[in-house]
Amino acid sequence: MTETFYDVLRRQGITRRSFLKFCSLTATSLGLGAAAAPRIAHAMENKPRTPVLWLHGLECTCCSESFIRSAHPLTKDVVLSMLSLDYDDTLMAAAGHQAEAIIEEIKRKYKGNYIVAVEGNPPLNEDGMFCIQGGRPFIDKLKETCADAKAIISWGSCASYGCVQAAKPNPTRATPVHKVITGKPIINVPGCPPIAEVMTGVVTYMLTFDRIPELDRQGRPKMFYGQRIHDKCYRRGHFDAGQFAEAWDDEGARKGYCLYKMGCKGPTTYNACSSMRWNGGVSWPVQSGHGCIGCSEDGFWDKGSFYDRVTDIKQFGVESNADQVGGTVAAVTGAAIAAHAAVTALARARNKNETNGE
Amino acid sequence: MPAPAWNQNPAPALEAAFRHIAATRMAGLPIANAMLEVEAVAFRRYEQSGHWLGVLITPWAINLLLLPAPGAPWPDPAPGAKHTWHFPSGDYEFTVAREEALGTYHLCSLFSPPAEFDAQEEARQTAYAVLAALMLEGGGEEDRSAPPPPNRRAFLGLGR
Repeated sequence: MTETFYDVLRRQGITRRSFLKFCSLTATSLGLGAAAAPRIAHAMENKPRTPVLWLHGLECTCCSESFIRSAHPLTKDVVLSMLSLDYDDTLMAAAGHQAEAIIEEIKRKYKGNYIVAVEGNPPLNEDGMFCIQGGRPFIDKLKETCADAKAIISWGSCASYGCVQAAKPNPTRATPVHKVITGKPIINVPGCPPIAEVMTGVVTYMLTFDRIPELDRQGRPKMFYGQRIHDKCYRRGHFDAGQFAEAWDDEGARKGYCLYKMGCKGPTTYNACSSMRWNGGVSWPVQSGHGCIGCSEDGFWDKGSFYDRVTDIKQFGVESNADQVGGTVAAVTGAAIAAHAAVTALARARNKNETNGE
Repeated sequence: MPAPAWNQNPAPALEAAFRHIAATRMAGLPIANAMLEVEAVAFRRYEQSGHWLGVLITPWAINLLLLPAPGAPWPDPAPGAKHTWHFPSGDYEFTVAREEALGTYHLCSLFSPPAEFDAQEEARQTAYAVLAALMLEGGGEEDRSAPPPPNRRAFLGLGR
């Protein structure tokens, strides 16, 4: 008999009450509404479990740090230790040959049916010598491990875009995962690091529904990267009214005015920080008085200082946003285009409760 | 402080206030769209809540706006707080804002910065389309199948 997620949970001593609580929390964090909780429960009770292999290339481990601090302890425990994280060289007890043997075993037993989560990226210069694991280049390990995977999750801006190690002049030629792995579905979850609830949400969605979430043109899950920081920022009223902090210690800063003039990248950054916030919803960068640095956008290290004002929004890839609103209105005029832009904008703004498919 | 209610259409006051902002605090803002100007589009009382609803176009943002009308309950949390308003097309989270000349109002961001518009007429047509789609069930999108109703027996683990 195949082992389901629920079998594993019960073996670990998780009560049914805790299990159902996890299902409803997951449904909420995915923006699916309470009605989806029983469907998640049903999936976890009946679907065979999907192993996750978590690889680390050139990275700083901030993605792992974020992930293991998910707001609800059960959420990360379920995903991390009980369900399906079969390999993670940072977190696992096994080491050396014993650890590496797990990858081979999963590849053999779950061929075409496991998920590879990649934190960091492979450096390609000098035949990959800038990142050696188990005596060989990380790029080799990455390619071999991904060869039989069902799907790949690129954790963080490193795996998604390259991040700091790929900043100019990128001496090691650090390269995002989707540039070296082809022919597999790849989900980009950018951010430095991504929000913990976003990470657990993406993993849980894929494990329970056995498919990848709806992605935008940059391969990001729309449910978390559909809106700009600026759209949901609690200081937005100050932006609209032209009330800006002009120095870190001026009257405007004390009054909590908009940080655009202090370099906030909120108007060009797609992420869920302003709606989900951080540390279990306690706060987020703008709430603590610092502008958004745009860490979830492609090449954010090469776009000038964190404290430079955004002056050219096209530079920041707004044109290639989630729904490609940018450009379409300008290209053609007419009522149909206006209607399309309107519907798209409303869909972005609308709360995602229960109308968002699975 | 209770929000002052608007007996008359707030559109002229909105346009005056935001034209002043455009000429002063927002003057020279690099991400503003020079093709757009301040315009309050189609403000009217929305029958379900009784409040003033419309779209405000400025060179730096196009927002759905709600302003309080007399005689209807108006939640008045501090500026920066969120309030969810219901419309036929769904629930929308608005951000509470406050401006001296206008008092408290609620905004929902549609386009900001509104870089994709090349002319005021495009923005105006889009504003009308937003207000129309807002009142349609499904928001004007093609129907997405609703999730099946929860099965209580399954939820409670009593078999199916």
